[in-house]
Formats: sequence, C-alpha cells, structure tokens
Amino acid sequence: MILINCPYCGERDQSEFSSGGEAHVARPENSDHLNDKDWGQYVFYRDNPKGIFYERWVHTHGCRKWFNAVRNTSTDEILKIYKLGENPPSKESFSNTLKTPSGEPKVGSGNFTVKK
Amino acid sequence: MSAADNKQSSYISDKEVSFKFDGKKYVGYEGDTIASALLRNNVKLVARSFKYHRPRGIYTCGIEEPNGIVQILNEHNEPNTRATVKKIYEGIRVSSQNRWPSLNIDIGSINNLLSPMFSAGFYYKTFMGPKGFWKRIYEPVIRRTAGLGKPPKEFRSKSIHQNHNADIVIVGGGLSGLIAARKLIDTQYDVLILEQDSFLGGVLRNLNKVKKINNKKPIEWIKETEKLINASKNIKILKNSLVTSYNFTNHLIALEDKCVGKKIDKNKPELTLHKIRTTHTILANGHIERFISFRNNDLPGVMLASSFEKYIYRYGVVPETNPVIFTNNSSTGTLLKSLVDLGHKPAAYVDARNKNKIGSKLLKYLEKNNIPFYINSEVEGCDGNKKVKTISIRISRNKTIKVKSSMLCISGGLNPDIHLFTQSKGLVKWDDKLLAFKPDVPFQNTITLGSVSGNYNYEKTIEEINNKLSFLKAKNIKLNIELNGSNNFNIQELWETKHEKKSNWSKSFIDLHNDVTTKDLKQAVKEGFDRIEHLKRFTTNSMGTDQGKISSINSLGIVSKILKKKISEVGTTTYRPPYAPLSFSAIAGRNTYEFYDPERKTPIHNWHIDNKAVFEDVGQWKRPWYFKKFEMESMHLAVQRESEQTRKTAGILDGSTLGKIEIKGKDALEFMNLMYTNAFTKMKPMTSRYALMLGEDGMIKDDGIVCKFNDKHFIVTTTSGGAPKVLADMEEYLQTEWPHLQVYVNSITEQFSTFNISGPKSRDIVSKVFTDVDFSNENFPFMTFKVFDYMDTEVRVMRASFTGELGYEIYITPNKALELWKKIFHFGKAYDLVPYGTETMHLLRAEKGYVVIGQETDGTVTPLDLNFNWMIGKKKKDFIGKRSLTRSDTSRDDRKQLVGIIPLDKSEFIEEGQHVVECERLPKRITTPVEYLGHVSSSYHSPNLNHCIAMAMIKGGNKLMGSKLFVSSTYGTKNIPVEVVSPVFIDPENKRLVS
Repeated sequence: MILINCPYCGERDQSEFSSGGEAHVARPENSDHLNDKDWGQYVFYRDNPKGIFYERWVHTHGCRKWFNAVRNTSTDEILKIYKLGENPPSKESFSNTLKTPSGEPKVGSGNFTVKK
Repeated sequence: MSAADNKQSSYISDKEVSFKFDGKKYVGYEGDTIASALLRNNVKLVARSFKYHRPRGIYTCGIEEPNGIVQILNEHNEPNTRATVKKIYEGIRVSSQNRWPSLNIDIGSINNLLSPMFSAGFYYKTFMGPKGFWKRIYEPVIRRTAGLGKPPKEFRSKSIHQNHNADIVIVGGGLSGLIAARKLIDTQYDVLILEQDSFLGGVLRNLNKVKKINNKKPIEWIKETEKLINASKNIKILKNSLVTSYNFTNHLIALEDKCVGKKIDKNKPELTLHKIRTTHTILANGHIERFISFRNNDLPGVMLASSFEKYIYRYGVVPETNPVIFTNNSSTGTLLKSLVDLGHKPAAYVDARNKNKIGSKLLKYLEKNNIPFYINSEVEGCDGNKKVKTISIRISRNKTIKVKSSMLCISGGLNPDIHLFTQSKGLVKWDDKLLAFKPDVPFQNTITLGSVSGNYNYEKTIEEINNKLSFLKAKNIKLNIELNGSNNFNIQELWETKHEKKSNWSKSFIDLHNDVTTKDLKQAVKEGFDRIEHLKRFTTNSMGTDQGKISSINSLGIVSKILKKKISEVGTTTYRPPYAPLSFSAIAGRNTYEFYDPERKTPIHNWHIDNKAVFEDVGQWKRPWYFKKFEMESMHLAVQRESEQTRKTAGILDGSTLGKIEIKGKDALEFMNLMYTNAFTKMKPMTSRYALMLGEDGMIKDDGIVCKFNDKHFIVTTTSGGAPKVLADMEEYLQTEWPHLQVYVNSITEQFSTFNISGPKSRDIVSKVFTDVDFSNENFPFMTFKVFDYMDTEVRVMRASFTGELGYEIYITPNKALELWKKIFHFGKAYDLVPYGTETMHLLRAEKGYVVIGQETDGTVTPLDLNFNWMIGKKKKDFIGKRSLTRSDTSRDDRKQLVGIIPLDKSEFIEEGQHVVECERLPKRITTPVEYLGHVSSSYHSPNLNHCIAMAMIKGGNKLMGSKLFVSSTYGTKNIPVEVVSPVFIDPENKRLVS
C-alpha cells in the first residue's frame, strides 16, 4: 500500500485513489481522418514499461480530481506528482534516483534476493 | 527421567490453571503456553504429521513451531493454533488435529508404510487415472487424511484495524530493541516498539548467557528500561503484536492479540490489525535456531536446544532432566550449564566438531561434571514407540553406541531472522563464518540491529547500535554487558547425518510440517528440479504454515552438497508476507456481514416489506423482485399476474434506484453531444430522449433517458448499477479531455425518488392524483416532461415507458415519496393498480423488445448490433466511440446481432444462456466442436401472448429473419426448433405507447 500525495489534498492512502493508466495520450481531434490502425493505436495500445512511467490518477474517494504522476513501476515509488496541464518532467531528471528492488535487473524480472 | 519444575524462574506465576487436551484434564500455571503446560505434565505426543500421520511432539518454543499445531475448541473451534504460542487459561479446551480415531491410534499412519507412493511430487504422478477418479475418489480421500484442522463453522469476526504514523518503528523488544529504545527516550522522534510476546526482554529471558547489564540482573535492567520508556512521552510499546508484513514505502502490518492468556470476551475485539507507516524501521527481531536431519529426527522428544532452555527460563519447566545434547556450534553451552546449575545431568553431549573448535574450557567443564561427551561424533538416529527411547551416536566411522534418554536437544546453528528484511526487498548475503544468510543492502530506510544483522556477540551489541543509529539525533549510551561463559560461536557445517536404513518407518526429515524427507530432496534434484524455487514447489519443502523457519536453510545446504555448488549460488527462495499465519478475520476487520457493503434502500422499502415483496440485490440497492399476493404464491405466478394486470389496467414500479445525473453549464449541450451518441442540438426544451453512451471502442457502456430543460440544463438517467461509473466517466472527460467546457455534473440519484406507472389506465390514475395537470395526449405527448408544484414541493413527471404501454415517470423528493406512493394507490385502487418488481419489469420490456444493458449487451456489443442505427447522430462531428463504429471489426455484417426467437412448438420453453445452433440434435459424444451461432440473452413466458419469447445475440442475425434454427436445452441432446423473428413481440406499431 503506497502513499500518494494528492496535489489538492496532500498525502493519502492508495486505497482512496484509482489509477487511470498511461498519461499524455491525447484523444485524437479529427478521428474521422485517422485510419483503423492509428485509431486502434489510441484505443487499444498503452505502454507498460519497467521503470519510469507517466500515468494518471484520480482521488476517487476524496476531491475527485485527476492529476498526473511519475512512478517507478519496479518499486512503486512515486517520483513526481503534477497537476493536469503542467509540463511533464523529463525522463532524464529521474535516471539517477531510479533503483530496482533486491538487485533486480533493469529489464525483466527475477527474484535475486542473494547478492552474488 | 521426566519433567521437572525450575523454581528459580521468576517469569511464571504459581497460580494453577486447569485445561483440557483431547478431553483429558491437566493442570498448568498461569502464563504457561499449551506446549509448556503439556511438557510440565510429561505429555510428549501432541500431534500427527501432515502426510504420514507420524507421531509428533513439541519441537520449539515459539512462532517457528512445525509440529505442535492444535485446535482450540472453545474459541469458535479455531484451527491450526501454535501450541507453543497460545497461552492457557482456566477452562480452555484444546484438541489435536489430523488424526482418526485418536491421537494415540491413528489409522492414517498407514500412509507411512505406503510412503513410496507419497514421495516428492506424488500428486503429479500417482493419481493420473482412470478418468473421473480424481474428482470422485482421490481428492475427497486425500482431503480427509492429509491436512490441518477443521475450519470454524459459526464465526463472527470482531477484529478491528488501527492506523499509526511513526518516525521510527522498532520491531522486537529484546536486547537490541531495548537498547535502541533507550537511546531514543525523550528525543524528537515518535517511536513505536512492536513486541510479539506479552513481555519485553526477548533473548534475555530465554537463556542465562547474559549475567549482568550495567551490574544489574537482566530482569532488573528490563524492568528499569520499561519504566523509563513508559515515562517518556515519545515512545509507545505494543505487546502481543507480531509484525507480519513489511511492505513498500515503510508500511508495516502488525497483528495484536487482545486475548492473550484469557477467555475471549464476546463483546470486545479479539484481534487488532495495526497498519503502520514510518520513516525509519529498526529491525531487531533476532534469530531462529535450526535443526539437523537424522534418522527419525521427528520423534516426540526431539527438540531444539535453545527452545529447551527457553522452557526452563520462561516457563520454569525442565522438559527432561537428563536429555542428550547434539550440536555443531557453541550456543548449546549455556543449556549445558543451566542443567548442571539446576542439579540435573545431561545423559550425553554429542558435538560434531573437533577439540580445537569446541575449546578446552567446555571440554574441561564436561569432564569436571562427569558428563559423557562424544566429540567428532554425530547422532545417527533415534528410536522409540511414539517417543524417543534410545539415541544412536556414531562415535567413529564404524562404531555406533546407544544412549537411553527420552529427549534429544539439537542445534544446527542460528539463522538471523531475515524474513522481514527480505520482505522489504533488502538484499541478503551468505556469511561463511556464521553459515547463514544475513542482511546486506537495505532497499528502504531499514536498519538491522543485533542477531538479525548477524551479530551474535552481545558484548559488541552496544557498539553496533551506537554506530548504526549515529545518523539520528539520539544520545550515545554506555552499557556494560557481562556474560556467563564465552562468546564463541564456532559453527561447523552439518546439515544431515548419514543414517542406516533400519525399516520403512525410518525417515530423515527436512520439513517436519509438510513431511518432506531428505530423500525427497535428492529425488527431486535427480528428476531435474535443480532450481531452488522449483524444488520447493515440487517437494512442498518449507511450504507449510511454519514456512520452514527452522529448516529452509538446511535444505539449501543439502541441495548445495548434491549440486556441488556454494549455498550463495543456490540462493534462497523468496520470503513473502505474512511472516506467520494470520486469520482472515484480522484482515477483514469490521468489513463483514452487514458492514461488508452498505445496503441502499428506497423510501418505499418498508411499504414493500408490508406488501410481501421479495427483494433482489442490484448493486448495493435492495429492489423488489416481485410481490406475493398470498404467502404460497410462486415467483412465476406472481410475475405472470403482475404482467397481465399491468397491460390490462395499470402497474407501478419503484424506480428510485435509477441513477440520475444533473448536467448544467454554458457548454452543457456541446458536452452532451460528445458524451452520448444521440444528437441533442435540435431537441426541443422540456422533451426527453432515449440515449446511448459508448466507450471509445464503440461498445455500449450505458443507456438512459436524457431530459432537456434547455441548452444549459440536462438531466440524464442511468442504469441502477451504472450511475457511479457514468458520473466518474463524465468527470474524467471534463477534467482531462475537454477542460475548456464549462459544465458541472452532479449525482441526484438520492435527491429524487422515481415511480414508473404504466398501463392503459395510468393516465386516469395520474390525472386523479395531480388534478391541476393536463395529461391529455395533445398537451402531454410521449417523451415530454412537466415540472409543477405539488404537496409543497417540486414534482417532475415525464411521459416515458419501459413496458411499451402508456406510461409516466414521476420524480419527487424522497421525504414526500411514500406519501405520494400511497396516494397513487388510493386513486389506483379503482383500476386494480398492481405494484410490480424487477422481474415483471424485465418481462414487460422483453415483450416490447427493449434491451437491458448488461443482459443483452456484455461489453462487446455496438449500437449497430442492436439495430440502434437511428440513435446515432451521424451528422455530429464527434462523440465518444464514433470512430470505432466504422472499424473493420465493428462494421462486419456477421457480428452477433439482436433477434427475437420463439419456439415452433409453443408449449416449449427456452432457457436463458443456451446456445443457438443449426443442428437438430447434438452428437452423444462431442468429438469436433459444434458450430455455434450465438446465445439466448433473455427468455420469458409471456402471459400476454401465452408462449415463450426470447431474445438472442446471433451471428448475422439480421439476415436470418424467418429462418429455422435450434436452441440447446438443459435435458438430453435433442435441441428445440425455433424461428428467428423480430425482437418486438407486442405492439410493433407503437400504438399503445403514443395513445
């Protein structure tokens, strides 16, 4: 259970929030002009990286406001929270702080609890 | 040779407590655990093992116990309780588990002789056929004979949850935990100490290794420390609280037992689940001793050496005055001295190490006290009937001698208790000197102190703690620890002794709880399971409720020897929460029964009860399903009667559960045009329209009626279950996609009660209720609504229908709803107005061919599939899901489409959920798949047509109108011949609707 710092209410338990998936996927404006593939890309395809992920959250059992968060998916650490409309922080700004648990590799998974 | 009391123990009271074990009465002392009280009474046999039903006794003195698992009969029949943890009280009734007919004579022990059948992975190999045997024979039999206790039958959880926020959490109130706490007294930090026992002191109370702390007896130092902590303002102690998990972001879960050593008070919570958030976690949770595998190392009477000593000091019971001690390290030295000091003499001391490693001091001590000792020796095995009688000691390669004793104390080394540390995702490292894993790099703000960090040297503990906590603003304290005897550990690697096979009964166990033998490990490696995670799952090693706390490292040792690898290369399995079993009731807390989910009731609820309504759950709502006219009326009869009466005169439905959302704002019209498929621009004020909401994938998400007051004010209704989701979706789009729109959305579901009155006489009835309103067809046409004052409040009436009859929806504030409802019945009586429930609602709408979202649709249905083309605002530039309606997949013409079906033989009935097929009969044995056209989504017996009517979603249904197909039935292979028809069965010209 992680803590999430709602930009409007402050730190609250994760159980008060809902995740809205990948952030910064704009709804195409002239969808009539898109071919099936491009429209399908918007409707069905989302990233699922290990590491830095920009995603949307909503404080469902609170202020009901949507906001953006940058999360390290391998540790659930929330690196940055910013309001809708604000510029997303660059990926590079997190590369130094990024870690993985139990000496896991940066890519793939594994239970490497023993230091070699 | 039997148990004796240690009168010097100051930790246990002399108040006698009587209790029952397997029906027999025993007496222990207040403060005793079940295990210590049984040992006091010389009861050795306490359990039967999991698989082979071998006799088992108490093996340890704590949470790590693999054998002594019992059922507490007077506490909701609580199963799988650790006898070594559970304290007794006057009148507690305990029984053994997994045995029949009795603990002493257990028929299941035949499994032991059949053991070749039950070797590693036996369930993957043995019970393969014949077909059907698994379900009918093997599984029930295995479930009966293998397993744990019986689940409680009647149980109501009274546990509660509590939240904490702390700066520092100290796990464990032993030596290191208390030193750390003393450093933090009256500092700026909020500190929480979690201790699993009902007292502080930990290891200081377990053995007599520490003689003095700052020239005080350990017990006095503990009392002084507790006093200082209690006097401080910043430190809180939670006793009887076991930390079960250590999660991300320094979030810990601890389980507090509120009823230690006393009867459960039925009015008070039994358990408290503490949810703790902290900045720093100090782990001072100590170590756990491990065992050694040898022949029959599971016989009652074999016990871990440190546990034996724990019984002497904590509970004042010497389980056996003349035991044999078998060790590979120096930690047993204190046990030896304790026994001698109490005037007892060990029957033999067996040490696997050589002279140099043991040290001359101990050897001299053994000689001086005339204790038989054997160095460079090992225990080959032990024998006896349901308890240890003789112990075979291999004193040289070819020579084995026998020693008589009823108990054998073993020590295979000490494991730092890294469970919580690895749960927190810290890295561990193999220590070649300690022969154990110890914490290396923490992943969170975790500090390990004392033996959990691999520091077994008590004299150095204070230095370690001062160093590791130097980053905190805490005082340095000085502590002088005086020891009894030496501080050496000097362990020598020994996991398993070589044993001679004496009989089929001989076994050398690696996991006592799950009955895994060392032979199983070797066999599994031979079969290719050489990865430790695979091996664990194949053999079930360390998968019992004790999670292999005393044995899992031993299995790594044995496997590393077979594979000729280092233990650090073999690696450990992953430690996962919980640390020890916790009951589901603790997790559930107060969220049980009526508190599990709120019940929502309409203002008419009590009237429904008075009128014999049978209720149905719709989301959280309680809705009348049907009303019984008389007690014995069946659902079928009630629904037929309600439906018939509604079409004949009038019926009324309590529709208050319907979701209602108010939409207001400058851009409300534009927003509505985007959210729904319909076009609202040309819609006249004070009219309403049936509308559809799609997902971006083009699939129908919800439907409802949209009422337009004007371009800036709309009200929409949603399905009863869908309201929260629809509102959330609207808010999401407004905030994330169209923040430029000035629109406010608000749920008004509970601000208005709704009644749906329909039937040919409904106009007559509402005209009599609302005498000032003109209900004539000209002035109140279909799909319009009026707002007027009535009973000092605002009432909204809309002409709409979900039955196909003339109908009105009445909206009124809930506190006037019941009054109005009764008024309607007052005037309705002359017309035989009938109340109806959801089942009749479904039947009536099916007769008219109206769909129910979630019944005809399942998230894969587009409006086109339901022939709802007329509802799509094709000229609109955009709405949610518009583009998806022209995707190659959604525009296929062989998609499942909505049709009506009726049986050719009008006396037959079609079941919902049956398949629509082309063949008249299904083959008796289905060898190739039968081609399937679709499924029946709704089916009812129509009282108005007097035959079955059904709706189905079938492939290319639109083109199949009029054709003959078949529907599978619940009986036999013969299918029911049906005809595909339009789904509108009654009044296709809408004459009744607009009359």
